[in-house]
Amino acid sequence: MSIGTPITRIEAPSKVNGQAVYTADVQLPGMVHAVMVGSTIAAGRLRAIDTRAAESAPGVLAVLTHRNVPRWHGTPDDLHYVEPRFPLADTEIHYHDQCVAVVVATTREQAAYAAGLVAVEYEARPVVASLDAALPTAHEPVWRFEPLFPSVVEVGGPKEAFAGSAAKVDAEYRTPYHSHAPIEPNATVAQWERGRLNIHKTSQDVHGDRRIIAGALGVPADHVRVWSTLVGGAFGNKTTVWPHTLLAAVASRQVGPPVRLVTTRKQVFTGHGHQPPIIQHLRVGADADGTLRAIIHETTNGTPILFDDPEPTISPSASMYAVPALGAYVRVADMHMPAPALLRTPGDGPGMFAVGSAMDELSYALNLDPLELRRRNHLAHHPLKRKPWSGKQLLDCYALGAERFGWDRRAPRPRAMRDGDDWVGFGMSSAQRLEPHTAATATVAILDDGTAEVRTSIAEIGTGNLTTLVQIAADGTGVPVRRFGIVSGDTDLPEAAPTHGSRSTGSTGTAVHLAAQNARLAATRLAVADPRSPLHGLPTDRVGAADGRLFAVDAPERGESYQDLLRRNHVKAVTEEGHHDPNAKNQQFAFATFGAHFTEVRINRNVPRVRVTRHVAVFAIGRVLNPKTARNQAQGGIVFAAGQTLSEQLTQDPATGLFVTPAFTDYHVPVHADVGEIDVSFVEEPDYNAHPHGAKGLGEVVCVGVHAAIANAVYHATGIRVRELPITPDKLARLVRESG
Amino acid sequence: MSEGTNRRTVLAGGLTVGAGLAVGSTLARTATAGTTPAPNTRRSVSLVVNGTRRRLEVDPRTSLLDALRDQVGLTGAKKGCDQGACGACTVLLNGRRVLSCLTLAVMHDGDEVTTVEGLASGDRRHPMQQAFMDLDGFQCGFCTSGQIVSAVGLLAEKPDLRRAEIPELMSGNLCRCAAYCNIRDAIATAAGLGEDG
Repeated sequence: MSIGTPITRIEAPSKVNGQAVYTADVQLPGMVHAVMVGSTIAAGRLRAIDTRAAESAPGVLAVLTHRNVPRWHGTPDDLHYVEPRFPLADTEIHYHDQCVAVVVATTREQAAYAAGLVAVEYEARPVVASLDAALPTAHEPVWRFEPLFPSVVEVGGPKEAFAGSAAKVDAEYRTPYHSHAPIEPNATVAQWERGRLNIHKTSQDVHGDRRIIAGALGVPADHVRVWSTLVGGAFGNKTTVWPHTLLAAVASRQVGPPVRLVTTRKQVFTGHGHQPPIIQHLRVGADADGTLRAIIHETTNGTPILFDDPEPTISPSASMYAVPALGAYVRVADMHMPAPALLRTPGDGPGMFAVGSAMDELSYALNLDPLELRRRNHLAHHPLKRKPWSGKQLLDCYALGAERFGWDRRAPRPRAMRDGDDWVGFGMSSAQRLEPHTAATATVAILDDGTAEVRTSIAEIGTGNLTTLVQIAADGTGVPVRRFGIVSGDTDLPEAAPTHGSRSTGSTGTAVHLAAQNARLAATRLAVADPRSPLHGLPTDRVGAADGRLFAVDAPERGESYQDLLRRNHVKAVTEEGHHDPNAKNQQFAFATFGAHFTEVRINRNVPRVRVTRHVAVFAIGRVLNPKTARNQAQGGIVFAAGQTLSEQLTQDPATGLFVTPAFTDYHVPVHADVGEIDVSFVEEPDYNAHPHGAKGLGEVVCVGVHAAIANAVYHATGIRVRELPITPDKLARLVRESG
Repeated sequence: MSEGTNRRTVLAGGLTVGAGLAVGSTLARTATAGTTPAPNTRRSVSLVVNGTRRRLEVDPRTSLLDALRDQVGLTGAKKGCDQGACGACTVLLNGRRVLSCLTLAVMHDGDEVTTVEGLASGDRRHPMQQAFMDLDGFQCGFCTSGQIVSAVGLLAEKPDLRRAEIPELMSGNLCRCAAYCNIRDAIATAAGLGEDG
């Protein structure tokens, strides 16, 4: 068995020797370079654009603007994951750094230089660039995922139930613009060959991207091929087809040779997705013993002028607790912002910051241990679906986490634990994330040279999915991992689930599992029907597979290698498909992943900077396919969310709408020195109701609850409740001063 | 940066900073022709890259990073920000770690450059590469070349490195996947440091 063993990533050698290929590394013969010019206003219209100087600059092949961009096809409203207004479609400006021109030149230096020569005259209009300013336009969203993510959930008369509760929390929680900020900038290389388009791009979903690109350009989907080589971090920002991809394609069609367009770091921040600012108003009511009576969760997020993109932060309120009265309301308010994109963890990340903080506030109001309050409200079934959760070992997560952390050393009152000049605080939160099921297809081939191969279009964004899929296939076929290869990231391959929303393990993993089972069965049938095989005549269910060999279960020495079987029968490869049908899931259960976070902060009382010195997390994600990659992903997710909690904030100037922190020097992602001790464990129990291999997603749930755990620890350390992220030293210093 | 001049100072005379805040009507130009080197001029530069002398004809505006990636064909060093803020482009320049996006190729005639591709001895990985592999010191791998080269440079700078110093001294290399715990362990392992080292 390779599942459950800490094998090294199969692409690891190429990642340590510099040979790993990412989109911007792709070199095509004759390739030329494109650079985007962005608007220097955030609202208004382009009155005039002078491209003459740019066009006559050395090396320049073309300058695309609204005047000469070819007409876009497709109907953006019908397309997922793309802005409804195609780039350069008109002269309207809806956000800062919106693309107003593309310069194509022989070299990147020439294109960048000429981009600076494009002169634009704007007519600026008043800008809405803060969520507070946008609130008068707050409205119920109209969007395509309404049935899946309802905007209104109301049961049991929440207002009355809240009013009649013995203990109450009524508070507002705010989160800012957060950026994905992958180290790899979004990039596209586009090449036309006889009416067919080849696209290399930073992508989490090549098939999905192809549908959008083909639709926008008005070419048949089968005339477009999309590759995603290794992806240098995504976190959701490579789920969308951004303007630069479409522009690289039209630029190449215009000038002839392949075009490479690598976005600048600033453009990654300004035009490649973010989580918008959110205000959540939570009202939580409980009995004196802590039993929840009512939750009213009202959330409003900023949305672009042109379309509604709600952040479903109500998810925790609507799925975690047996609250008899619930009111959950999602609204959006119009701002001059670029398109948001799914950001790890959509909805649940900011939602659990609010819910996990409110639960903590309630625990102090009740004089009850925050962990005990959660235990008392633990729920074995989904409160709205009224189905039992499958694989909910949340109580085990609490117990193991509390023990590993030393939660019993927590002083009940805030600002009671000191170490020299440091205030020390403990905080905790639950984690929960619904487990998605998405269609996925893969093939597994067992070859006559003793090797085997998985084929599926999945993109590897750093989660280790190539490795875990091979582990699943290896165990399914009995061909060892070291003899397995995987081909991925290409629309010529069977369609995997997108690599976002924790879909790889569950959905694509199931497709690979089924393909492997089918390939093994096909080979087994070949063997038992072959009079020359030692397995001839056996029922297929009495044949096992291991070490690249089929054998009789009742007499393991009786058998033969796949290689011998296939060569003797002149079969080059046994190739079978597996398909994950999302509707085939067990309808008796509700599915999610679960966890618990415990964190210790230290805050110097003279310079109140929050340091997360120790973090213990325990997750229940079914079977752990690879403890090495899983632990790494979990630690990384915790750090990712800690950055959102403590330092990350994309700042928009409220007067002009310009983004003022679009650089790593100003948007502060965690660095080595920010990271303390992070202890990750798993409560391992395969969840075969969820998926036939027993494993579930991990990448999203690890971030859920971290924000609240840290904010709760800050309160415990200082007695100061910070309800607005990020918890920066200046903010905390002000609150400390105000609190005396 | 061990070099005295970086790209920002070289181009300082040639750039006017963007349009600033736009109110009403503005005419924005971010560069002024005539004050930068003549765009078609190419200069010859000789670099010793991973032990091999390479003569390149480069646009004077080409960063060392772009020259390595697009002309020498070594794409291990990555462009994460092009602003000297992420560390993905770290290479060794005459043995010291530098950010290759912040220095121009033409400034380095005769200099020795080591990239991640030059660390191994034949088929044998550098101990730092092996440690990153064994301890899973990455996820997406995009910052990894820079992390590894930076770590190799760090050990050369500070042979008496202690484990507790690693986080601070590696903080110029961002890892957005945040494999920091494993990177730290990999560097300590390659440096032969124990738990208390």
